[in-house]
Amino acid sequence: MAALSLKKTVNSGGLKKWRRTETMTAYGFTLPTVILLLGFSLGPAAYAFFLSGVSWNLLNHMHWVGLHNYGVIFHMPLFWTSVKNSVIFAAVVMPVQTVIAMVFAVIMNQNLPARPLYRLAFFFPSISSSAVASVMFMWIFNKLGLLNSFLSVIHISGPNWIGNPHFALSAIMILNIWSTAGYFMVVFLAGLQAIPQNMYEAAAIDGASGFQRFLRITVPLLRPSTFFIVIMGMIGTLQMFDQSFIISGGTGGPLNSTLTVSLLIYQEIFSYGHVGYGAAATVFLFVLVLGLTLLINRWLGKPVEY
Amino acid sequence: MVGSQSEKVWNRVSRGIYLLILTAGALVMLVPFLWTLSTSLKSLGQALVYPPQWIPHPVVWQNFVKTWNIVPMGHWFLNSTLVSVSVVVGNVVLDSMAGYALARISFRGRSLVFFGIISMLMIPFQSIMLPVYIILRTLGLINSYAGLILPQLVSAMGVFLMRQAFLNVPGEVEESAIIDGASRWRIFWQISLPMVVPTVLTLALMMFMGSWNNFLLPLLVANNQTFWTLPLGVVMFQQQYYTNWPYLMAAAVMATVPVTILFLVLQKWFIQGISTTGLK
Repeated sequence: MAALSLKKTVNSGGLKKWRRTETMTAYGFTLPTVILLLGFSLGPAAYAFFLSGVSWNLLNHMHWVGLHNYGVIFHMPLFWTSVKNSVIFAAVVMPVQTVIAMVFAVIMNQNLPARPLYRLAFFFPSISSSAVASVMFMWIFNKLGLLNSFLSVIHISGPNWIGNPHFALSAIMILNIWSTAGYFMVVFLAGLQAIPQNMYEAAAIDGASGFQRFLRITVPLLRPSTFFIVIMGMIGTLQMFDQSFIISGGTGGPLNSTLTVSLLIYQEIFSYGHVGYGAAATVFLFVLVLGLTLLINRWLGKPVEY
Repeated sequence: MVGSQSEKVWNRVSRGIYLLILTAGALVMLVPFLWTLSTSLKSLGQALVYPPQWIPHPVVWQNFVKTWNIVPMGHWFLNSTLVSVSVVVGNVVLDSMAGYALARISFRGRSLVFFGIISMLMIPFQSIMLPVYIILRTLGLINSYAGLILPQLVSAMGVFLMRQAFLNVPGEVEESAIIDGASRWRIFWQISLPMVVPTVLTLALMMFMGSWNNFLLPLLVANNQTFWTLPLGVVMFQQQYYTNWPYLMAAAVMATVPVTILFLVLQKWFIQGISTTGLK
């Protein structure tokens, strides 16, 4: 009806004019967003590729060195230390937070009393800023702090978490899992609502145990949520910066044990003025994240078949 | 039916176990906050007692007053508020406009713009900090409010969220408004936007949290104390007063209170926000 009367009101010349107005309006509506995103998101990403080919310390004259910077960072032991730290960090934190989030979401989905209160408690850590959470945990991880006093109850003499190179990265892992698991749990909870209840009923009639139902129905049907959480978790953990910076005071110490790739990039520009090296490490990080994203996409990205 | 009887017992036992696990998990989540609050009210002497004590005695409210006075907490609060409110307003207006155009108007280049924005969903800020810093420096935006605000003023995620919301608005209302000769701007502002208020609220909350808690951008932009926001201020305070834990915890509490209140009041929208952006 509406479309018909629309054609009647505007004759063909008017229609053309109307189309043009529409297009201009659309450009007007999207222009500020496009400019800002180009300037502060897509543009910088492209700019990083260019900068990775220059020698520049922000003050001197920039000159082109081609692939030289990549050669330098690939021969830099510190660079590989940072890659190792970031990859270990991601390889531990991402799976652990995903599993914790999924298990707690499934438990919370069991029609238990006081569910909103529990959800509130689990979600609460993700509203705190990385800065505040890091400062809070530095106090908890103190040699004579809360965590070690809990450990001493079970007769474990806790280390100086933050000052010991063997434990500093683990401390940041604990902090990270604590602060993001609840957020992802809420994502899983939303995914669980989408699973048809009759599948569980049918499985129960067939005699499947609770654990079997979890493995055979819940886990496969949650794949869209899992996919999202694994991708977001992987990107977030591989680029971890704030917690390392704050807990190590910007050094990545002790003994570079908390130096991540992002922190190395920061140091290359702000401590050493090596823009080119930092940009080459940036491009390396892009490629790493993109490669892993494609890999995960092949593994988890297929649509769910009921 | 012996089977159903034992099943009932088993059911009750398993629910008990579930509740136990949930309670333990919830405690792990909340203990760090409670410990922070407890420490913030202790004297320095009591804070350093080992094994730790939970109940502050005496309760030292002065920690908050002193912390507020030895560092310009009030100024950082103002900075954080100014930046976060600007970021929220910018995102609500600009993301909605772009999302509306992408959902509702057919125009040349629409899919190019859409896929361009989608591709930016995958670029987190940490990975582009170096080029962003250089761009901000070139534009002369280091140590300025514009430098703290502009990079956060629109978000690809926000545009995507708003586009999805506008796609779900029925088209008939708009069509009759078009026939009546209303301009797109009026249709957007007076008809369509009011219909997606829940999504706008979700977007506003997400952006407020993201901006209020942002650490890296202020670290890059604000070398000068005048432009520090709360997270940056708290961290710098920590590096200076790293042994005075009651003061540090008082600062942590003060920095967390505004978002906590916001969260408790608007909890429903937070959950909805995560559910929609997380699932799409």
